[in-house]
Amino acid sequence: MSNDIYDIVPLRISPLTHNLELVRSYIARAMTSTLLTSGEQHGIVLAVDEACANLMAHAVSMQPSHDIEVRVAVTPQDIVIEIRDVSEAFDPRTVEQPDMAVYFREMRSGGLGIALIRRVMDTIDYLPASSETPFNRLILRKRHRSAS
Amino acid sequence: MNTFTITHTHHDRAEIVHLHGYLDAHTASQFERDLRVIIEQGDAHVIVDFEHLDYISSAGLGVFMVFIEDIRKQGGDILLAAMRDNVFSVFDLLGFQVLFRIFPTVDEAMAALSNNA
Repeated sequence: MSNDIYDIVPLRISPLTHNLELVRSYIARAMTSTLLTSGEQHGIVLAVDEACANLMAHAVSMQPSHDIEVRVAVTPQDIVIEIRDVSEAFDPRTVEQPDMAVYFREMRSGGLGIALIRRVMDTIDYLPASSETPFNRLILRKRHRSAS
Repeated sequence: MNTFTITHTHHDRAEIVHLHGYLDAHTASQFERDLRVIIEQGDAHVIVDFEHLDYISSAGLGVFMVFIEDIRKQGGDILLAAMRDNVFSVFDLLGFQVLFRIFPTVDEAMAALSNNA
């Protein structure tokens, strides 16, 4: 993906959960001019919140100075959100999805954030940091209904 | 910024817990702490009033899972009521209606408890 599609100023936050509200506001503002329904917009805000919260909770190597950067692009076909971080790589696509029948029967708790992201977004891509790109990239896409 | 408050009132058959604001990974620990105190000191039944809750994420859902098994073992239950559409959608996406009864209003949740008496 080219960086050129990100036409909205990125949001940079420290990896602390009190910043989640900033993330939600940033994503919500980016979608105000789209034709996405309020339900779709809420779902996308939720997915990005979950992705950032997951980073904050599990990135044990993350230091307060290691900001998370959120970028968003709205194209005629879709909305694309990219979340960049410099912690240890963690590909959420590798997480086994919970069988909710078993989850409820055993009354488990936790571990539902990635399941929510999968239910809301159309595609999830992950590119770990490399010699060319010194940060991990989690890329979430949601197609506009008129483009699907 | 991330405001979340919890208040509760005692009724004949249940503690009614009123949630306000945003329940996310930042505020869920406060919710868990406060709900634990309310459950330990109150009635076996809890009705959670979502009317003034603006947002919930999976961290908030997880708090209900922490308590539901123990409270049912004690003969009680947690009933959920008066959710806004965006809050209900999060429960719905994961099928939480399998485990929790969700009512349009607090009054209907209270009536359900009375009918079970």
